[in-house]
Amino acid sequence: MNKELRSPLLFIAPVLTFILIFILLPVIGTVVTSLYKDITYLDNKFIFFENYRQIFQDPGFWQSLRFTMFFILVSIPLEMLLGLIFAILIDQEVPYKGFLRVCILIPWAIPAAISSRTWELIYNYNYGLANFICSFTGISVQPVNWLGTSLGAFFSLVLADVWKTTPFIAIILLTGLQIIPGEIYLQAQVDRANFLQRFFKITLPLLKPVFIVALLFRTIDGLRIFDIIYILTHGGPGGATASLSHYSYKYFLAGDFGYGSAVSTTLFIISFLLSLVYLKFGKFQNTLS
Amino acid sequence: MTKKTVLLISCLVFLFCGCSKTNKNTVVFEVGGAPNEISFWEEIIKDFQQQSGIKVEIIRQPTDTDQRRQGLVVALKSNKNNPDVFLMDVAWISQFAASGWLENLDNYLKADKVDTGIFFKNVINLSDKYNNNTIALPVYVDGGMLYYRKDLLNKYGFNNAPVTWDQLIEYSLKIQKQERKTNPGFYGFVWQGAQYEGLICSFIEFAGSNGGIIIKDNQIKINTPANIKTLGMLCDLIHIQKISPPNIFTEMKEEEVRTFFQQGDALFERNWPYAWSLHQNDDSAVKGKVGLASVPHFAGNKSASTLGGWHIGISKFSDAKDLSWEFVKFTVSYETQKKLAMKLGWNPGRKDIYKDREIKQKFPHFSYLGNIFENLTPRPNLPYYTQISEIMQKHINSALSGKTNPETALKEAELEINNSIKRYLK
Repeated sequence: MNKELRSPLLFIAPVLTFILIFILLPVIGTVVTSLYKDITYLDNKFIFFENYRQIFQDPGFWQSLRFTMFFILVSIPLEMLLGLIFAILIDQEVPYKGFLRVCILIPWAIPAAISSRTWELIYNYNYGLANFICSFTGISVQPVNWLGTSLGAFFSLVLADVWKTTPFIAIILLTGLQIIPGEIYLQAQVDRANFLQRFFKITLPLLKPVFIVALLFRTIDGLRIFDIIYILTHGGPGGATASLSHYSYKYFLAGDFGYGSAVSTTLFIISFLLSLVYLKFGKFQNTLS
Repeated sequence: MTKKTVLLISCLVFLFCGCSKTNKNTVVFEVGGAPNEISFWEEIIKDFQQQSGIKVEIIRQPTDTDQRRQGLVVALKSNKNNPDVFLMDVAWISQFAASGWLENLDNYLKADKVDTGIFFKNVINLSDKYNNNTIALPVYVDGGMLYYRKDLLNKYGFNNAPVTWDQLIEYSLKIQKQERKTNPGFYGFVWQGAQYEGLICSFIEFAGSNGGIIIKDNQIKINTPANIKTLGMLCDLIHIQKISPPNIFTEMKEEEVRTFFQQGDALFERNWPYAWSLHQNDDSAVKGKVGLASVPHFAGNKSASTLGGWHIGISKFSDAKDLSWEFVKFTVSYETQKKLAMKLGWNPGRKDIYKDREIKQKFPHFSYLGNIFENLTPRPNLPYYTQISEIMQKHINSALSGKTNPETALKEAELEINNSIKRYLK
C-alpha cells in the first residue's frame, strides 16, 4: 500500500470501524436472521425465503404496506410544501429573525414520544383541545372521536407528523437558500424579473439538490414511522394504522425473530429502491458537480 | 506510551468492566412498575438481605408491560446469566416456559417442603405448570370484575348489582337518562376496548359468560354463534344503546376507564381489583359509593373473570440458582405477601392471606375476591398466544369501531389465526 493511500485510510478508520460494528453488522445479522425460522420456543431452522413467501401471503403485511405508502404519499408532499414556504419566509430580512427561526424549530427539537403524548391530549375525546375548540366555536355540538375512524386516525397521524417534521425540512431548505449567491438575484432584478420568475427560474433549480436530499431523508424516515403510531393509535382502530415497523415490532415482541427480521428486510429493500428512484430523477450526480 | 494511548486503554478497560459478570453471590432481580411498586420491592429486598445475608441487586424496568417483556426476552434469548429472578405477566409464561428459559422449581419446592396448596389451585394449574413441572409461582393474582355505583342503584330503586347483561343494559339506560340531566357526560358502562391486550381480557370475560373461545387440537374456534352474539352486544353498547362512550375502542385502557368512573361519570366499570383502593382515595368522587360484583353473564350461563397477575420465576441461565430460590421463597412467604396487600393493595397469590384478620379489617372486599379467584378463566395457554391475541385485537376492535360487522370480524379473525399459527406448530 502506498503512503498516499494509507494515511487517509488511517484517518477514516475509526469511523469505518464504528459503521462496521454498529450499522453494517446488525443489518447483515437481520438479513441472515430473516432466512431462519427463529422462534424462541422452536428449534432454529434455515428455511431460505420461506418467511418472505409467507409475508407476501399475509393480509396483515399488505394492509400495513398500504397504510405506510399512503402515509408518506400524503404527509411528505405537505411537509415539503410547508417546509419550503417556511424556509423562504425565514430567509427574508424580517425583524426578530433569530427568534422566529428558533420558534419554527421547536417542534423538531421536542422528542417524538413527548410530542405524540401532547397530540394524544389534543385528540382526547373527553377533555381534548380539539374537541374543546370545536364546541367553543360551535363547529360541532357532539364531541368528535378523532381517532375512531380509519380516515380520522389517518389524518390525525398525518397532522401530528407534519407538525413535527416540517421544521426539519425548513432548516435544510434554508441552508440551501443561503448558498445561492445573492449576485444572481441582483442580476435578475436588473433584468426586471418579477418575484415568481425569480422563484421558478433561480431559486427552485438551484435548490433542487438540497430539496432532493431533504425528500430522501423524509421518505426513509417516513417509511419507518413508528413512534407516533405506537403512542397515538397502537395500530387501531381495527389495525387501520399499523405501519410496517409497528407490524414487525409485534413479531419481535412475541419472540418470532425470523419473521420480524424478514419484514424489516423487506422494509429496507423498499426504502433502498425508493432512494434509487429519487437519485435517478434528481440527477443527483450532475447537480452536485 | 503516549498520554493518548494511556487514555484510550483506560477508556476501553472501563468499557469492558461494565460488561463484566456480577458476583455469583448476588441475586439479580429484574422488576418494573410504578415508582411506588419499585420502592416496595426495594423495601422487600432490604428485609431479605437482613434476614438471609444474601445480596440482591435490582434492575429497574419501565411500567409498560410490553417493554418489561421486551427487556426480559432480549436477556433470555441471548442466554445471559443475569437477571436471575424476574416477574412475568401471566400472558407470557407459556412462551417463556416453552422456550426453555425457566428453571423447574419442583425440586426446590420438595427440598424445602413448600406446599403449593397454599396458592389458588386453579391459578397454579392454569399458569404455573408446564409439562407437569412447576416453573413459576404466583406473586399476585388478578381477575376482572364489575364495579358499580351503590348510591345510584339505590336512588333509582334497584336493590342489587345486575346479574345478566340484559339487566346491566336496562339499569344503564334508565339511570343514564336521568343522570344526564345534571351530568351530560354520564355513561352507563365503561370497559377496556382499545386495540391492546386489555381488549382481549375483557372479551374473554364477556365471551366466557356465553360459552367462550374453544381451543381443540391446535384449532381455535372463536367464530361461533355465541361469540358473534357477544361481540354484537358489545357493538350495540357503543352504537345502538349508547351506554358506553364512543372512545371505548380508541382510548379506553385500564387507567382511562378507572379515572372515568372515579370522576363519577359512569354507573358500571369493568376493571381489575387494583382500582378498588384508588376509588376509596380522598380525592375520589365515588369514595364509599362503590360496590363490587362479578361481571354479568348471558341468561342461562355463568359469569367469567379473566385470569391476570404476575408470577415469579428463576432463569435457566442463572448463575445463582440456589440463592435465587431463597429470594423466591421470601417473596411468596406469608409476611411478604401480607405486606404486598397492606402496602400496595394488591391481591396476593397465597390463599391464607385472604383470611388474615388485619387484612379483612382493612380490605373487606378481599373475602369476596378470594371466591372469584377460585374460578378464573385463563387466556389461551399457548406459547404463540401473543400472535393470536394480536389478530383478535385487530378484528374485534375493527368490529367495535363499526368498520366491519361482528360476523365478518370473527370469521376473518379465525381464518387468520388458524393460518398464522401453522408457523408455530412443530
